[in-house]
Amino acid sequence: MNIVALVKQVPGTDNVKMNPETGTMVRTGKDNVINPLDENALTEALRIKQQTTGTTVTAVSMGPQTAEKALKEAIALGADEGILLSSRAFAGADTIATARVLAAAVKKLENVSMILCGERATDGETGQTGPMVAAMLGIPVVTFVKEINVGENTAIVIRIVENGYEKVEIPYPFMATVVKDINEPGFPTLSGKVQARETLVKVWSEEELGLPKNELGLTGSPTRVVKIFSPKLARDTRILKHDGSGNAVGILVKLLQEKKRNCIKGCGK
Amino acid sequence: MNTQAYKGVMVIAELVDNQIHQTTYELLNWGRGLADKLGCDLSCAVLGSDVRGLNEIIYRGADKVYNVNSPSLEKFLAKPFTSALTRLIAEEKPEIIVAAATTTGRTIMPMAAAELGTGLTADCTVLDIDPEEKILLQTRPAIGGNIMATIKTPRHRPQMATVRPRSTRQAGRDSSRRGEIIEKKYEPVLFSTSEKFIEFIIDTTQNVNIQDADIVVAGGKGLKNRDGFKLVEELAGVLGAGVGASREAVDLGWVSYPHQIGLSGKTVAPKLYVAVGISGKIQHLAGMQTAEFVVAINNDPDAQIFKVADVGIVGDAWEVVPEFVDAIKKIKACA
Amino acid sequence: MRYNKITDEIVAGLKNIVGPSNVVLDPEKLGVYAGDEVPEAEWKHLPEVVVKPENAEQVAEVIKLANREMIPVTPRGAGTGLAAGAVPMLGGIVLSLEKMNRILEIDKENLFMVVEPGVTTGEVQQRAQEEGYFYAGDPCSADSSFIGGNVATNAGGNKAVKYGTTSRHIYGMEVVTPTGEITTLGGKCVKSSTGYDLVHLLVGSEGTLGIVTKVYLKLLPRPLHNAVLLVPFADMQTAIDIVPKIMTNGGIIPTSIEFMDNLCIKSAEGYLNRTLPYGDAGAYIIIEVEAYTESQLEADFETIGNICLENGGLEVFVGDNKSSQEKIWKARRYLAEALRVTSPVYCMEDIVVPVSNIPRVLAEISQIAEKYSVKIPCFGHAGDGNIHACLLKGNMDDAAWYAVKEKVLDEMYTVTHTHGGKLSGEHGIGAKRKKFMARFTDPVQLKMIKAIKKALDPNLILNPDKVIDVD
Repeated sequence: MNIVALVKQVPGTDNVKMNPETGTMVRTGKDNVINPLDENALTEALRIKQQTTGTTVTAVSMGPQTAEKALKEAIALGADEGILLSSRAFAGADTIATARVLAAAVKKLENVSMILCGERATDGETGQTGPMVAAMLGIPVVTFVKEINVGENTAIVIRIVENGYEKVEIPYPFMATVVKDINEPGFPTLSGKVQARETLVKVWSEEELGLPKNELGLTGSPTRVVKIFSPKLARDTRILKHDGSGNAVGILVKLLQEKKRNCIKGCGK
Repeated sequence: MNTQAYKGVMVIAELVDNQIHQTTYELLNWGRGLADKLGCDLSCAVLGSDVRGLNEIIYRGADKVYNVNSPSLEKFLAKPFTSALTRLIAEEKPEIIVAAATTTGRTIMPMAAAELGTGLTADCTVLDIDPEEKILLQTRPAIGGNIMATIKTPRHRPQMATVRPRSTRQAGRDSSRRGEIIEKKYEPVLFSTSEKFIEFIIDTTQNVNIQDADIVVAGGKGLKNRDGFKLVEELAGVLGAGVGASREAVDLGWVSYPHQIGLSGKTVAPKLYVAVGISGKIQHLAGMQTAEFVVAINNDPDAQIFKVADVGIVGDAWEVVPEFVDAIKKIKACA
Repeated sequence: MRYNKITDEIVAGLKNIVGPSNVVLDPEKLGVYAGDEVPEAEWKHLPEVVVKPENAEQVAEVIKLANREMIPVTPRGAGTGLAAGAVPMLGGIVLSLEKMNRILEIDKENLFMVVEPGVTTGEVQQRAQEEGYFYAGDPCSADSSFIGGNVATNAGGNKAVKYGTTSRHIYGMEVVTPTGEITTLGGKCVKSSTGYDLVHLLVGSEGTLGIVTKVYLKLLPRPLHNAVLLVPFADMQTAIDIVPKIMTNGGIIPTSIEFMDNLCIKSAEGYLNRTLPYGDAGAYIIIEVEAYTESQLEADFETIGNICLENGGLEVFVGDNKSSQEKIWKARRYLAEALRVTSPVYCMEDIVVPVSNIPRVLAEISQIAEKYSVKIPCFGHAGDGNIHACLLKGNMDDAAWYAVKEKVLDEMYTVTHTHGGKLSGEHGIGAKRKKFMARFTDPVQLKMIKAIKKALDPNLILNPDKVIDVD
């Protein structure tokens, strides 16, 4: 079975800093990492590979040339191959224009039984690309997946929904977007790192994918960002010191009982 | 694309067990506002199996209800729901479609957008109409809530968006309102799919869905250990609140992942949010900053969480929380 | 009794010097200044008064007053110490340097940063990085500890293998002497053969020979790339044997070489709620390397990794980006917290021995643990021989705990001493190890230490009852 893991390179977000003047994110290329949930997707692909003989895992990423690093990391973690979808024509793509490129790449790979990706990326946070790719390929999709059990012709997956879990049986080929509960990503090994260094990452542009330029990048994106602004984060905070007198909690409880909030209801007295 | 061929605003009803969920009324509130600004009709698509009480949707502001009724829509599977939605869109050609940013909305909307080749904006918190161009302005938090971005779809129709639950109030009810319920019976083959729904497993570890809860009490790493986290559970218990957690608390195994609030977890917007021992990394703030009233309890006076709190108590959770619990118990007992 | 109690008059005098708002008398607030991070009650003592001077002149005036009135003065940084060094064992004045927290200068021509003692180490690191440089001092408590405290204890940390301890980064300091004079020792000169090296006499003197009011810190060019390796080994001996091989065969000095024994690995797994790879291994070694180019980094970690694999490493995991590095370091960084969850009361030691003796000392420590039926997980800095042996109280009652602790510490220090080691590699002697200091230090050296202390602090005002007893 061939599994494709879609991985996106994102800025390491644990220390996101904003430029207060421009309202833009201060990015340093150095801290780029694989989108954490995509790493879960890759880990799941590798787990299935270990479990089922003859399985290959291909990591696919759309991004600038520097995203090669994410693919090398995927190979170091155990992926057999990395394919970078990179072209100037892809720049500025929204989710649908991105999905077009990813779907075309999966089509070109042939005989893919399963496509896995994170339920969302930590930078764009839309969570749209996975289902869009599935729709374009005309294959079934399960979203928010926390467990995959592979069988002969179908897989049984469990997805997390608002008030519980849903168990679904789904035939190959299918797309699954995963949540972080699904597994615990491992560490790349030294031999994996050496393997990654020696493995050539293929680069495909719109030519290899046979895509018309007008459907790609900013030109091919139906949506446009028209304004970016800083959210009003600050509230009028009232700080109370807990000094053992009981005053702090007393004041808090009074505020919560106020009619407009009515958070703590007594018996109506 | 002839954008003029598309008219009207459509919202997708949010259903739980084929019953209308309150999020639907929030969507109707957004939809009514947009439709009034455009001077057009508001419709609501119900994709389900024998959904009752459709008049309620009209009382809450819809002019038309499209009832796509099929036993195939009893349980959620992505493909049949998407097929039904795209067929309905092709027939009715609404210019704007709004769904909830729930597991359902976030699955079928991107699939439909892909099939229709149009734009979709996820997880909006504000929707408006551009007064000149008369098109949809979709505003959403981006980069972990660090910035807000306003997005539009200038040349493609329909304009599609999912909105965060609790980003607005529920539409008011007016039982004198009149509207049309239109039954949509589609041929069974439209719903055919190779997926099979096996079962639903209720999550017994959370008695309240935190995204639905009016009050959420969340704990973080400052609680030190699993025993510390029990303070949060106790406080949630007396407040009748949902239990939330920061990523660290989930990573450390004090509570399961469905309770995680923030960038890689859930977004909540309850009436009251109580953060205990949570430092307030931007990733966490992204999941709770739209809460109506925020209380933070933390022993570090410089903790970031205080910046988004209405009331902050600087103190040790082990002392503050039991005191708080006692005070609430007293009120509830009317002592 | 040598010392006097604080009177209203003295309080008025102190208020006059530092201003009324910088004098703390409120008993509840004094509690904060009663101890450091040593958890046991025997190492807590309330000060009579806390002063928070804002400049060297105020510090000097407080010291002069203390000499006149015979009041003990305990200088205090952030209170993150692990030797009860900032605990006012005899009451008196705690002189907190928290208000002297400015970065005074960044000298890009000479590569120095001049700071006040109350700046946190983390802030120094961050600021250096923002300016494109690197401050190499890196105790594990960097986020909260003050530079002044780092100087006082000669703090070490993870990067000491390559960069040495705090003393290596200190070229000068302004100091208030125990008699209340102000002077500047050293400065921005990189070399100095001009008389006694008083700078390094003061470094590690634990606030007994002077109060540092300004520090000259050396900045370095910032290494641009780094990688972290996690290597599990079947047993501790094989693991530690790797350390000299990396430096001799590999010709590379890593930034850090840390180790964890199996008890620690298991605690980390429990705390982090995940299984770690090779969790049953006898030891983990964590190695960090830095380089100025990416290709150099790759070459270095490959060389080190191969040496590990050829010498008993069960696997080599590589983190060369932020997320994978975080994951590897997490196991080590949360260890103190993980152990605290296992046992809220514990006794954390930081003995130091020649690197090659680590396995022998660890083996003997585990025999001690067996003998007394206690748990002593060990982790620490393999690259510099610094072992954190962590005696856990578990569910022992207090009486049993004190009895066992005394015996275990005694035997542990004896083992350390026998193998050419010292009581403390980076935490200091403070009050906690004073008794053992006298026992395990050569009498000639003790005589020298006492002579220096008496010469500089004739009234024995400054941080008395620490390190050694003078009379």
